Amino acid sequence: MTYSIVNRIVSGPPSPGHRIRFARLDATESIELTELYAMAGRVAQGLRELGIGPGDRIGILAPNCLEWVLLDLAALRLQAVTAGFEFGKYAAGELPARYGLRLLFTDRAGDTPQILDIGTIRALAAGSAEPDLPAVRYAAEDVTTLKFTSGSTGQPKALAASVGSIDSSLRAVQEMFQHTDGDDLFVFLPLSLLQQRYWIYSALCFGHDVTVSTYEAAFVALRATRPTVVMGVPGFFETARKHIASRSGAPAEAARALFGDRIRYLWTGSAPASADVLRFFTGVGLPIFEGYGLNETCIVTKNHPGAHREGSVGTVLPGKQVLLDEHGVISVRSDHPVNRRYEYAAPGESERVFGPDGVVRTGDLGYFDEDGFLYIRGRADDVIVLDNARKIVVRPIEERMKTSPAIEECVVLCADRTHLVAVVSPATEPADEAAISTALRHTNAVFGGDEQLRKVVIARPRFSIQNNTLTSQYKPQRNRILDLYRSEIEDHRKGIHAR
Amino acid sequence: MHGDHIERAARSCLAEALDLGIAPAELQLDLDMVNEYGLSSLNKVLFMTAVCDATGVPVSCFTEHDLARMRTLGDVVTALSRNEVVSR
Repeated sequence: MTYSIVNRIVSGPPSPGHRIRFARLDATESIELTELYAMAGRVAQGLRELGIGPGDRIGILAPNCLEWVLLDLAALRLQAVTAGFEFGKYAAGELPARYGLRLLFTDRAGDTPQILDIGTIRALAAGSAEPDLPAVRYAAEDVTTLKFTSGSTGQPKALAASVGSIDSSLRAVQEMFQHTDGDDLFVFLPLSLLQQRYWIYSALCFGHDVTVSTYEAAFVALRATRPTVVMGVPGFFETARKHIASRSGAPAEAARALFGDRIRYLWTGSAPASADVLRFFTGVGLPIFEGYGLNETCIVTKNHPGAHREGSVGTVLPGKQVLLDEHGVISVRSDHPVNRRYEYAAPGESERVFGPDGVVRTGDLGYFDEDGFLYIRGRADDVIVLDNARKIVVRPIEERMKTSPAIEECVVLCADRTHLVAVVSPATEPADEAAISTALRHTNAVFGGDEQLRKVVIARPRFSIQNNTLTSQYKPQRNRILDLYRSEIEDHRKGIHAR
Repeated sequence: MHGDHIERAARSCLAEALDLGIAPAELQLDLDMVNEYGLSSLNKVLFMTAVCDATGVPVSCFTEHDLARMRTLGDVVTALSRNEVVSR
């Protein structure tokens, strides 16, 4: 008999003795989880009086804050559906009509009655009145929230997440990591990403503390709040690694100065983490566990204290099945799929990703070792087919180049279907061209004939989220980089050439 | 006098955060730290934390909005100088 975490957290208050903290640069607010539950009930009552009921959509466009969490929990109590929008990426005015929102809460001024100041949520949460709410019971296929993911039309497409997918992921995580009394999970990535809200649901269900920080306050809040677990993307841990390595004294001491002295483990995923970063943190006494999953699948595999293998993304979670085709392309079958289609997607986008049986075609390439650990070789999209029909998986070449301290990021491209060219984002400006040339020589020494890099083009400026060469999760945007550097890639007089 | 101390600390901390091999004295006060010097948003926070530690101005004097408004090294020096006076 499996239990539902979502039904548990809407059906009654959590056990007492645990807290949620909200950290900003200028202040930290701490609330007992039982009080959070009571506040969310009063917010739900207020929303109900505004006409919100089961199935209605509530948009949230704001940085991480108490009001965000209260709205999310209140929506769960009403069986309303939240739509979390990444702060800073959307204009509020266009969202209600585009995504069918009854209300949108934001900290930015709106000029329609549907767009409300998120600050009003504090007033709804205040007081001591007992809310009069109907009992709620979710079925596994009911949906609670919309996730947004980039679409081929440029407009984000939506994916409604099922209760069954949330429950099964959280159950599996709890089995692996045993979050419990004494733990404090640190969340600083946007709450618009559903997985970041998992850790609040986990605190309410399993009884531990959780700290929610703004993105900007993350490094400040870490040393002040002393969490036991930090959830971050590889780019965050890479920044932390560089900072720690630049400190004088023992790296383990510098790591404790940055992360606090209570870390049990670090969690990463969403993008590939470099082996150097993973080894570094393990080496300074902060175990870091990488996993694998997509918006469309939720968490599929995860390394964890009981089963961990370097270089892999872990073993498959209960309730998930990883299928590899003859080329090694990964598809995922779930006992409880996130969904079987996108909303607001271009024609054909759902069919391209979701099979008729609900299986998700990830487009990633992988293989298993004999003990069931999954290894990701790259994206099927990142396989370059040369004019001699040879297929080149570029990720190992890129990873080899990135072992050079002079190279921060590397993308291998092929504009003429014959020669591979690496576009590198240097670790320093001006770039250390001698070191990059050495990396090119060393890389070519370990790969076969068709995998040889003809030359390196140095990105100026370096790749960044701001200049749209990296996604918000620090993944290089290959097509954009190819467009930006096409003339240098094709001009044989430019770049650092292999000798 | 205090302004000089803050500017020296800010230059030193930014040079360290950028890791571009630019000497502290060569940093331009009016260049955009993100767009011109390539400072990432997370590194900007690490830089601010370091410069606050070095100058004794509590980082809690600032909000996320204040941080977003600090685009240049000159902005940082001005904001720190203002808050050093307040916190003294």
